Amino acid sequence: MNVSKISKGVKLGYHQTGKFKTTTMSLNIIAPLDSKTSEKALLIYLLSRTTKKYPTVFSMNRALAKLYGAIISPSVSKSGEALVLSLNLSCLDDKFTLDGAPITEECIKLLLSCLFEPDITPDGFKKENVEREKRLLLQKIESEKDEKRIYALNRMLEEMCKDEAYSLNKYGKKEIIEKLDGKVLFEEWKNLIFSCPIQINYIGPKSEKEITNTVKPYFEKLERKNIIDITTEFLTESYGTKTVTEKQNVKQGKLVVGFRAGMTYGMDNYAALKVMNAIFGSGTFSKLFMNVREKMSLCYYCSASLINSKGIIAVQSGVETENAEKALAAIRNELDEVRKGNFEDETINQAKLSLCDTLHSVEDAGTDIDAWFKAYCASGEFFTPDSIAEMIKAVSREEIIVAACSVTEDTVFILESEKKEEKGND
Amino acid sequence: MTEKFIKNDLLSDGYYEIDHDSGLKIFVMEKPEYTGAFAMFGTKYGSIDTCFKLKNEKDFTCVPEGIAHFLEHKLFESEELDAFELFAKTGANANAFTSFDRTCYIFSCSSNFEKSLEILLDFVKKPYFTEQTVQKEQGIIGQEIRMYQDDPDWQTLFNLLRGIYSKNPVRIDIAGTIESIAEINAKLLYGCYNTFYNLSNMALAVAGNVSKDEVLKIADRVLPKEEKVEFEQIIPEEDAGVVTDYTEEKLGVDVTKFALGFKENHRSPLRTPKELVSVNLALGIIAGKVSPLYCKMLEEGLINQSFGTEYFTGRGFAVPIFTGESNDPKKVRDEIIGEIKRLRKEGISDDDFETVRKRLYGLEVLGFNETENLANALVDSYFNGFGLFDTVEIYKSITKEDIEETIKTHFDENNCCLSVVK
Repeated sequence: MNVSKISKGVKLGYHQTGKFKTTTMSLNIIAPLDSKTSEKALLIYLLSRTTKKYPTVFSMNRALAKLYGAIISPSVSKSGEALVLSLNLSCLDDKFTLDGAPITEECIKLLLSCLFEPDITPDGFKKENVEREKRLLLQKIESEKDEKRIYALNRMLEEMCKDEAYSLNKYGKKEIIEKLDGKVLFEEWKNLIFSCPIQINYIGPKSEKEITNTVKPYFEKLERKNIIDITTEFLTESYGTKTVTEKQNVKQGKLVVGFRAGMTYGMDNYAALKVMNAIFGSGTFSKLFMNVREKMSLCYYCSASLINSKGIIAVQSGVETENAEKALAAIRNELDEVRKGNFEDETINQAKLSLCDTLHSVEDAGTDIDAWFKAYCASGEFFTPDSIAEMIKAVSREEIIVAACSVTEDTVFILESEKKEEKGND
Repeated sequence: MTEKFIKNDLLSDGYYEIDHDSGLKIFVMEKPEYTGAFAMFGTKYGSIDTCFKLKNEKDFTCVPEGIAHFLEHKLFESEELDAFELFAKTGANANAFTSFDRTCYIFSCSSNFEKSLEILLDFVKKPYFTEQTVQKEQGIIGQEIRMYQDDPDWQTLFNLLRGIYSKNPVRIDIAGTIESIAEINAKLLYGCYNTFYNLSNMALAVAGNVSKDEVLKIADRVLPKEEKVEFEQIIPEEDAGVVTDYTEEKLGVDVTKFALGFKENHRSPLRTPKELVSVNLALGIIAGKVSPLYCKMLEEGLINQSFGTEYFTGRGFAVPIFTGESNDPKKVRDEIIGEIKRLRKEGISDDDFETVRKRLYGLEVLGFNETENLANALVDSYFNGFGLFDTVEIYKSITKEDIEETIKTHFDENNCCLSVVK
């Protein structure tokens, strides 16, 4: 796995392998997370759906189907305060087609044409396409509210980062989306392809040179000049805990606790925090799983995850509303235990073993490799899973304790169940 | 012990199928080019197995809903270290799941494979529960049940199954209810365990960077020969018609969800690979992503990209399903039924057939990339009575006429149900 620069502001994440039956490739635009998030999110969906050559959803879907069910799917994610807009391709390797027809080359060209050869008129993107995508994106935003686990996590992050760009929803704002038109989107499309950093990831059998030669011409003719620089603001310490409570008609309440991880840009204490977080709350050997779930029997899930692109640890749990305070006290107590160094050496080994095992498995799935590349596309440096594993192995007990002590509680979000009286009657 | 190697030229893949002396069926797919491995140890026992007896017993036992899933949770415990603590020593990532018709215990790892396999085979074969440990689990599973009650997709599916089946136990929730799991005790758990966790009712599948000999070495050491346990089950006779053609629940969701399912009446409990492929192709032709109907409904705003199709099948149940989100689910249902009628009358065009065939074949091959999928598909196909490569081979020979016939026999518009969650 390696990342190299192939053109101005354009990088290639490349991993050669013949072990999969498919090629995985993605085009990733790294844009700032700002007031134009709605435009950007809508654009990536719009671009994935049709091209100049295939101007309707029907013709595009048929073309992909004939290429043995090739998939081109859009995705939007936050990587710190960068908004990563991706067009993802997955297609069958030539040797597995039923009629022996080669398809990979065509699939790659189709992917590139989504970004560079969209169906536009002098007035911008066509109205019917824009209106369709507006409706679909608005429904997506609405629909996500119905997934309470995601909803509660997003609400916590929104409250926690109120004064930071990170609080923005990756899909944008309803009121802005409703007003978008083809012209505005056309301008934003130009911004994206002319001035945003771009990373292309390729996982498949072709040589690096072959891929570079296919991709490079698309960028060379663009005259990309002022490539923007995107940075993320890291707050290393919380200013004190704030608690936000919301009531909804749900059967199960949610408790999400956000901590500042005490991280700064770069990798200084990343490995120590990763091991600390594993002991605290990720995996079945962790304190949260063993105590809050298994011993106290308070919940089905209670786990901690480290969002290293923003230096945040989020603990998520599904609990009965009346048990939320008890669970919160237990979570705080477990973190204190880690800070005091109350964990076995054996647990350190288990945390390292488990983390390294996962890291070594990254190369067994094309989509995992792509996700790994994506996780680094907004940061200056690239680390392979093996190099991270080495850092993790080197972490000492003292470093874990220091890392735990640098973690400060910031925001508690509780989603309460409205209908307490109905408990147990269903 | 007998073994054979099953090879497929189309995919240039192959696997060993072994009848182990212990009575266990073992599958190994060696993938030396991969770093890690994935193992699945499963039993043909799930939430639908609610009434049974051993052959030499007099009376049938009917157990509380959700007991198979409860048993899955409890097996991780032992008198000393529980399974999670043991796996923590090897670094493997372990888990388990219960479905309608099977329960599977799994792990993935990139090192210490032999040790992890030994733990897997050992803990599943050594049940240990007491009244105290059973009670503790009621709290955890109670929360799992509540979590699913807030999941609109899950509720849409179960309301559909209850609208289609009057007696088939697939209509009950996999995890049971707060009330039903309160009735579970250690004795009942042992009863289920002793009936269904016999090696002759189970399978082990391993895929990845392992050798067949490594797997067999551990199996030889850990698994003693087991006498086959024979059991009988009561399978309630299902009505031919649906319970209701429309069901609606108000959960207060922001976007209305729906599922449309067609009732099928079969004499045999399992579907053949050809039926599976045929119904999936039919679903794709009627309203799949490349069908004219899907694109029309999407452009008109009747559906969004969450729309999908599935042939929902398992031991004793089979329902072709269309799911999605819509402001007008009844209109979606009418459009789909209209398209079924049209296809029945006018037939399928060659281009439609060829396009959908290529697409679904490609997606099927995609499933052969990851070791987790491979181990899962090996167990699944075996429990359903066929081989791993059987479905992919069907795509070579299946014809348009097969699908036209399927649309006539599997999509009875007078025997369907629409489930809506608002």
